[in-house]
Amino acid sequence: MRGNLKVLGIESTAHTFSASLVDERDGVLTNAKDVYMPPEGSGIHPAEAAEHHLSVAVRVVHEALERKRERGSEIDDLDAIAYSMGPGLGPCLRVGAVTARTLSLSTGKPLVAVNHAVGHIELGCLLTGAKTPLVLLISGGHTMVVAHSNGIWRVLGETLDLTLGQLLDQMGRYVGFASPCGRKIEEAAAKSTKYLKLPYTVKGNDVSFSGVLTAAKRLIDGGAPFEDVCYSLQETAFAITTEVTERALAFTGARELLVVGGVAANRRLSEMLETMATRHKATVKVVPPKFSGDCGAQIAWTGLLAFRAGESLPRVADSVVRQSWRLDTVPTPWRS
Amino acid sequence: MKGGGRPELKLLYRGAEADVYRAEWCGQPAVYKLRKPLLYRLPELDNLIRSQRTVHEAQMIHQSKLAGVSAPHLYYLSPQEALLVMEFVKGERLKTLLLEAGLTKGRVAALGEEFGRSIARLHAAGIMHGDLTTSNVIVDGDVLSLIDFGLAVHSQRLEDQAVDLRLIKETLTGAHNEVSKQFMQSLLSGYSAVLGSAKAEAATKKLAEIERRGRYARVE
Repeated sequence: MRGNLKVLGIESTAHTFSASLVDERDGVLTNAKDVYMPPEGSGIHPAEAAEHHLSVAVRVVHEALERKRERGSEIDDLDAIAYSMGPGLGPCLRVGAVTARTLSLSTGKPLVAVNHAVGHIELGCLLTGAKTPLVLLISGGHTMVVAHSNGIWRVLGETLDLTLGQLLDQMGRYVGFASPCGRKIEEAAAKSTKYLKLPYTVKGNDVSFSGVLTAAKRLIDGGAPFEDVCYSLQETAFAITTEVTERALAFTGARELLVVGGVAANRRLSEMLETMATRHKATVKVVPPKFSGDCGAQIAWTGLLAFRAGESLPRVADSVVRQSWRLDTVPTPWRS
Repeated sequence: MKGGGRPELKLLYRGAEADVYRAEWCGQPAVYKLRKPLLYRLPELDNLIRSQRTVHEAQMIHQSKLAGVSAPHLYYLSPQEALLVMEFVKGERLKTLLLEAGLTKGRVAALGEEFGRSIARLHAAGIMHGDLTTSNVIVDGDVLSLIDFGLAVHSQRLEDQAVDLRLIKETLTGAHNEVSKQFMQSLLSGYSAVLGSAKAEAATKKLAEIERRGRYARVE
């Protein structure tokens, strides 16, 4: 294997279609993306998101491969093509898999399958310099506290129902926004300091947000100002999240906390985590906002690590998609 | 703390929820559990949670002892300060024991069995511990005491029993993977011996159901 591996990664688990070029020496070289926007008041329709992905796939891949116009495509320099095998929405995942398969067949480059959640973590480590952190993975698909042990990213605590991303999205959609609603909720919350009581549910190391959502919707129905509800929703849900993260931090004695996933972009949550971590003399590393949401770079970088460790799919026919694929079942030979 | 000056407090453990200090209470070795304000939480939310949990914990410890589970004796309670003073339970944390090299299979089985029995006694009395990690079990010879009832709740629901068991399993695979299978097996055997096989099986079946409900779990 040559000294400086170069890998193309394709991400398409949910609303984002993205392609990225990475190499071992410089990390992320390009990260092109196009995000499907659902109509106001609704969430991701899987088939329509897949339609979107199909319509932008070729352009996005070209953008990722052409760092400089004069240099043209770097497709021939690639060592491997990585794609997100799952978990995610079936129709969306298939667009990414088909794109990767096509590129692999036409160039003869090997395919590497990547778990999307592991991708968030490994890219977070690359960009923040975290080594073996305790990880808080918070997005539309995940709300988990994870630590690496015995070759696997293991789950120490997670949501028993909704993810943080879903909680924020469903709140936003209830008043007519389109997903993703995190930023709008954060902006509305910043305009209030009035706390309305919401249920606070911690079950051991796990959290539950369905009760919080129902109670918040009832507040809206009862005529409470949206800003106050958003403020209270954030304060409650983020305190719950921070509490279970603190429990895991105290339990593992970790010195680094890495925060990854779309909701990592929320500043109030980062602030709470910082305050909490200081008490335990741990440092908080938050993935840069540009890379907190789903992106090709997380797939390309993890694909590169896996390929360096000797992983690739034996046959193109093996490049299936897995809608359900927990991160605590994924071997991580590059970390041994 | 009121009157008489503050006894000398030595920090034993900085938990997520509370700081635990070693000190004396009327000449007895004691533990001071102080739920300090958590600055990341809104004060109005924080004060309420801390004082509620402190009172609740005292009640739960008392009721667990009535159920036949070894737990620390209570010495003093102050809801306003979110302070609980209790007996210092001698021994080693189960977490430390399970991480020791050269732990025999017999010892793992005995610890698991006894832990299972204690949980079953709690569950039979309708008490869910809520925080059954290996940090919250103190082992002194053959006696196994449960501590930290801060998240304990009353419940008759099978679901809650299973959630209790699920946390142990999560902690075992997360932090003690080498012994987790054997320990869990012994634990369930002790659990079943006290609770009766029908009730124990119903709980483990529910546990499997909850795991399948987990996000992205493989549906079997």
